[in-house]
Amino acid sequence: MSEIVVKKKKKKVKVFPIVNAIVFILISLIILVPMWKVIVDSFDARAGYGMLFWPQVFSINGYKEVVTNAVLYKPFLISVFVTAVGSLLGLTLATLGAYVLIQYEMPGRNFFANMLLFTMIFNGGMIPTYLVMKNLHLLNTLGAVIFPLAINVYNLVLMRNFFEGIPGSLFEAAQIDGCSPMGIFFKIVLPLSKAAIASIGLMFMVTFWNDYTNFKIYINDNSLFNFQIKLRSLVMDNDMPDVGGVDPNTVKNAATIVAILPFMIMYPFLQDYFVQGVNVGAVKE
Amino acid sequence: MQCKSCNTELPKHAKVCPKCGAKVSDKGPQNLKVIAIAGAVIAFIGGLLPFVQNTGDVEKAYSFMNIQMPVFWYLYMIALVATILLCVAKKEKLSIITTAIAGVIFAVAFFVSPFAEYAGRQQGKGGTVINKYNNVMLSDLLSNGENGIGMGTFVVIIGLIVAIIGVFFDLLKYFKKEINVDAKYMTNSINKSVWSMVYYYRWFYVMFLPALIFVLLFNYWPMLGLRYAFTSYKITNPYYIGITHFHEMATADIYFWTAFKNTLYLSIIKLILNTGAAVIISLLLHEISNIIFKKTVQTIIYLPHFMSWVVTASLFRLILAPSSSGMVNTFLAEVLGMFGGNPSNGIFFLGDPRYWVGSYFVINVWKDTGWGTILFLATLSGISPELYEAAEIDGANRFNKMRYITLPALTNTIITVFILNLAKVMNLFESVFVLMNDAVYDVSNVLQTFVYYKTFGGGRPDYGYTTAVGLFRSVVSGVLVIICNYASKKVRGRGIV
Repeated sequence: MSEIVVKKKKKKVKVFPIVNAIVFILISLIILVPMWKVIVDSFDARAGYGMLFWPQVFSINGYKEVVTNAVLYKPFLISVFVTAVGSLLGLTLATLGAYVLIQYEMPGRNFFANMLLFTMIFNGGMIPTYLVMKNLHLLNTLGAVIFPLAINVYNLVLMRNFFEGIPGSLFEAAQIDGCSPMGIFFKIVLPLSKAAIASIGLMFMVTFWNDYTNFKIYINDNSLFNFQIKLRSLVMDNDMPDVGGVDPNTVKNAATIVAILPFMIMYPFLQDYFVQGVNVGAVKE
Repeated sequence: MQCKSCNTELPKHAKVCPKCGAKVSDKGPQNLKVIAIAGAVIAFIGGLLPFVQNTGDVEKAYSFMNIQMPVFWYLYMIALVATILLCVAKKEKLSIITTAIAGVIFAVAFFVSPFAEYAGRQQGKGGTVINKYNNVMLSDLLSNGENGIGMGTFVVIIGLIVAIIGVFFDLLKYFKKEINVDAKYMTNSINKSVWSMVYYYRWFYVMFLPALIFVLLFNYWPMLGLRYAFTSYKITNPYYIGITHFHEMATADIYFWTAFKNTLYLSIIKLILNTGAAVIISLLLHEISNIIFKKTVQTIIYLPHFMSWVVTASLFRLILAPSSSGMVNTFLAEVLGMFGGNPSNGIFFLGDPRYWVGSYFVINVWKDTGWGTILFLATLSGISPELYEAAEIDGANRFNKMRYITLPALTNTIITVFILNLAKVMNLFESVFVLMNDAVYDVSNVLQTFVYYKTFGGGRPDYGYTTAVGLFRSVVSGVLVIICNYASKKVRGRGIV
């Protein structure tokens, strides 16, 4: 790296790039070491001692326990279910709503837009929302955790920002060719917004997968807990199910890794979609 | 609106001027309509407050407005709804009439007969509980707001004043600036009547229906529930007690003030640390010229963002454990041992109030700094390389360039990020919730966790009191968002909502 700098600027070797690179190697280590430590401990049958960065006694019993113990894999399946259903529902709401919001000549469009935006300024708060859930008889059902997160005004506005990037001439051309508004939506907007849908779909998936608060507030039933709740009670409250002869610490570490595994696998391939959402959200001109 | 360079009238929502091609900034004259709507909404909520009395005696429910006949109340509410609708429909001229009507109805109702004050509950005939009222004079009412009955009145008055100010400003603007848009710039649909437009867009209304239902159910219905803040609501049967809860919050509840203080302290320091760290890392990352190395570093530092707070907490709980299985404590013990210290006692990073706050900030920086660099890096990549070349010719070194080119270019983004996050200051919940425990309750309790534990932490939930705390939080948060929105419009010409 330093050679390139030397050639381009025709100057002597500089200290800064090297120091800078070292700084970032250190930062990367600071990020990675905690994760690595948990990975190592999850494979270590003796769930080892502080400063070891390689399993002493290699075993996959921790993972085996997470996969085979019903107390642990059922919450995982609930997480998967909630993530899948919730993301689909959320994406549907956001896409449909966003397409309506770009119809600037539609009577009532501004009213709808303001109505959505107002919820970003003011909200009822935790207890009134809880009481509404109670009135709707949604407490202790998965609906209570899916519905409130599925209507995400921030994501809807983000989707609108994406849609606004589609050139207006395309709509006009389609209109002149006799395409109905619905036809425009399905034949032009959706195919052109694959990246946006992927990006916002991922955001929904992260939200639903990582949801802890809503489960904590609305769900009181052991059989409906998701993996985050289970993980928390496992690690923080030492609420350990019967794990046979496996070291509880190994199981804790393995469960932590399982909770992040889906996104760790997807993330390197989909990084651009994740990043795209942030940029469209804030730096839109 | 007129084009700034050639003064041609512009069509609505035009991005460029059709005549000269100059870019049109969206920074039109700010619309004060929002104030009018906000005022009308406040007055409307004020009108709804009597319903929390939850009494079978309907006529008494309107007594806060001094109205013995509900018809006044209906007229008042209809006038307010009409005001809101007219403002939304950009008919400001008409909305002042309805606002005035609402004001007059209110004033008439206010002075027409003696005031009724809530005087507790009484056992009625046949075991039914009825609410009892005393008649009081206006002077009593003003000196006596705490006892309950004054609240709705004050809310209504404040709302009406705000609404009238808002509508009046809108009206002034309307007269000042007559907008004549040349018809040829408008699309052909402008000539159609509203109803034919509605018909044309009929499927769009159907498309919006799902989002509308969800927003109404899960965002607006809870807002109606805020009325419980003015009631005593323990498990069942809420009844109106006015601002008693707010009085208690302000004077008697030290936990509330600790929670409020902690919320501000934790989230503002967190915001400053996260933004600062993100700026420094972005600046340094920008200096890296090796693309592969840069991409790898980016991938790694974005990683923690995708972990839930539970996972993050679990991770740090495991490595910060005070026993020998905790990595950090083992490391410290070894270092201490090297210098002859006493390595036997581990530090309870997450269980000791002295260390908890620091650990919280470190964990937050660890989790969110990387993700926070995205916006800064996007801005940095937009800086023209010519600037750097020119600076180089002038003899600037790396730090001069950073100081005089990179940092000024970043300023706007830094302010933007700061404003965006400042609006979320009061939302602090999950990150604290998963990391806190009984031992550090005093330094870690924030408003949201306070509400949570007070309601769901065992014991008899007092929905009324916790709703009042929630309402306080929502209002502070809403005000913050509005201020930030205003600041954002000033700084970058675009609001955050």
